Amino acid sequence: MRGERADRLYRAGVGLLAGAVPVALGAIAVFVLVDALPALRYMGLGFWTGTQWNLGNQYGGTTASQNGVVAAAGATFGILPYILGTLLTSAVALAVALPLGVGAALFLSEYAPPRLRLWLSSLVELLAGVPSVVYGLWGLAVVVPAVAGGIGPWLSAALGFIPFLRGPVGTGLGLLSAGLVLAVMVLPLIAATARDAMQQTPRALREGAVALGLTRWEAIAGVVLPTARPAIFGAAILALGRALGETMAVLMVSGGSINLLPTNLYGPVNTLAAVIASQLDAAFTDATHMALHALAGIALTLFVISLVVNGTARLIVRREGAA
Amino acid sequence: MEAKRAWRRWASAGAATILAAAVAAPAATWAAGRPAVHRSGSSVTLLETGSTLLYPLFNLWVPAYTHTHPGVKITTAATGSGTGISEATSGAVQIGASDAYLPPAHPSTLMNIPLAISAQQVNYNVPGLNGVHLKLSGPVLAGIYTGRIKTWNAAPIRALNPGVKLPAHAIVPLRRADASGDTFIFTQYLTFSAGKAWPAGYGTSVSWPALPSLVAEPGNSGMVSGLKSIPYSVAYVGVSYLNETNAAHLGEAKLENRAGNFVLPVAATIETAAKARVGQTPPDEALSLVYAPGKDAYPIINYEYAIVSQKQASAAVAAAVRSFLTWALTVGNGERFLSQVHFQPLPPAIVKMSKAQIAKVR
Repeated sequence: MRGERADRLYRAGVGLLAGAVPVALGAIAVFVLVDALPALRYMGLGFWTGTQWNLGNQYGGTTASQNGVVAAAGATFGILPYILGTLLTSAVALAVALPLGVGAALFLSEYAPPRLRLWLSSLVELLAGVPSVVYGLWGLAVVVPAVAGGIGPWLSAALGFIPFLRGPVGTGLGLLSAGLVLAVMVLPLIAATARDAMQQTPRALREGAVALGLTRWEAIAGVVLPTARPAIFGAAILALGRALGETMAVLMVSGGSINLLPTNLYGPVNTLAAVIASQLDAAFTDATHMALHALAGIALTLFVISLVVNGTARLIVRREGAA
Repeated sequence: MEAKRAWRRWASAGAATILAAAVAAPAATWAAGRPAVHRSGSSVTLLETGSTLLYPLFNLWVPAYTHTHPGVKITTAATGSGTGISEATSGAVQIGASDAYLPPAHPSTLMNIPLAISAQQVNYNVPGLNGVHLKLSGPVLAGIYTGRIKTWNAAPIRALNPGVKLPAHAIVPLRRADASGDTFIFTQYLTFSAGKAWPAGYGTSVSWPALPSLVAEPGNSGMVSGLKSIPYSVAYVGVSYLNETNAAHLGEAKLENRAGNFVLPVAATIETAAKARVGQTPPDEALSLVYAPGKDAYPIINYEYAIVSQKQASAAVAAAVRSFLTWALTVGNGERFLSQVHFQPLPPAIVKMSKAQIAKVR
């Protein structure tokens, strides 16, 4: 009897704890939405389609009214460049990290001798624990000069017939550098998850493949990779999520552009998360508070993009699993 | 299927991380409401944050002051003037350091109190020419930062520097990424001297022209390291970083003043500019010293402000704030501190006005 009661209590307790997660999530969503509303009213759809970001004249002492809300004179908040910057840096990161990560996982799971596997695996996991500001510093010291002096000019010369890959390469601070730094940051996530999934390929399947006379590579391509595919896909989406929200490292190597749509792979960009971080202090001096509402609007946009990315991923994985 | 569950677990953790990233930055600062004053026994801790231009001076002041005032502890941080203003406004710190005065619409309890007079240099890294003081003007800098002037050998720069062999290389202008008092006084110089040729106005964070070559750097230290690593770049840097810019062998421009002369930021030219303007200082001491008249006046100088609230958490904290700021205006304005960061002392009349403001801290 007593045990049963304790059981019920325990169940209620953990239920409550589990319930706290969706409640916190909902509270954050509502908070960000409410805080963003004035800016969305002020700008309308132009908030997402506009390219001009201007906190307005803080020192003129004058204000402007638009759609019934008040902002500093000259204020306009268009975040299209930052939406594009966020999506493009993440896309570059994924395009680089996915083949690298899956390749590394294949080696670790299928080819590496056991002792080497242990070493390399812990090294890969160690990468995940490095603070992002360190990645940023490494990006500044290594990646940016490499892009400016080597990778950029080479890509531009080799693939310059594609307009987006054509120079000028500039200082190296920009989209490609940000994407490469992000790629290294998300690499351990992809490699570790993919390796785990590959190692969990049922022994019977592997033995079956070998029994059928398949070569090692045929067994990997025919059995291991298909089994691990949903997990790899999931890892890619997680990596995308991390890349979308990364702030500090991007802030340090992206060149921090403003009012500027990305024109090529090398030029300065800015991302939603980085804009929030770099504009926050200036926004606090806005007596109309509209600049803060606009930053909340950016947070809301990032929130929605992240939710859509995760939701889509789950749908696809579920369908894959069913097929 | 085990694998699938594993990634799902990862997925929820990932989602939470993204959400945190999306909202943590603003939420954290919004939540940082009331004063973080730590008191243990009779000792008081004051928090200072803000201007990276004022930061080197605070780091000289604080050890000297706390040496003679053992009951007070002061922490300093270089975060940019925007942070100084915003955290002093929210009450998160007692002293916000700023090279910019407060906007006209600010809480009435907040004061800007000048502590010293500073200047700003325009530095560049043009290989072969860093030993030469290139002449630059407000309109030319406005042209560079709007993209109308693209290369170092463009006609407007050549016209100011006859006889100098300028390279045909593209210019890389640097700007501050954070909300900055240096951006404030630099864009004031462009606004006052270039008129319509500078469309973005002035502020701690302005809507910069859409220029693919424009690069953002965090803090004065970021500007200096940017200049070092990017050849053919140009940037505005606080004079307290003169030792660093000299050590890095960067070029320092002679800037055109209101009288049409080209001058360097040295003690004499800063004093001349200050003399021309400080007489106009209003009781709240919010005054731009940029583009002052005078044959030898350096065009970009400014008051370095402490942004302080009249209402402090307790009488003990208020007394410590008053004591430290008064010390900064007297002992702290001495040659042995200011000369190290190339600042100039406040004239006696301004010291008097600052003291009158300090007396309001309760």
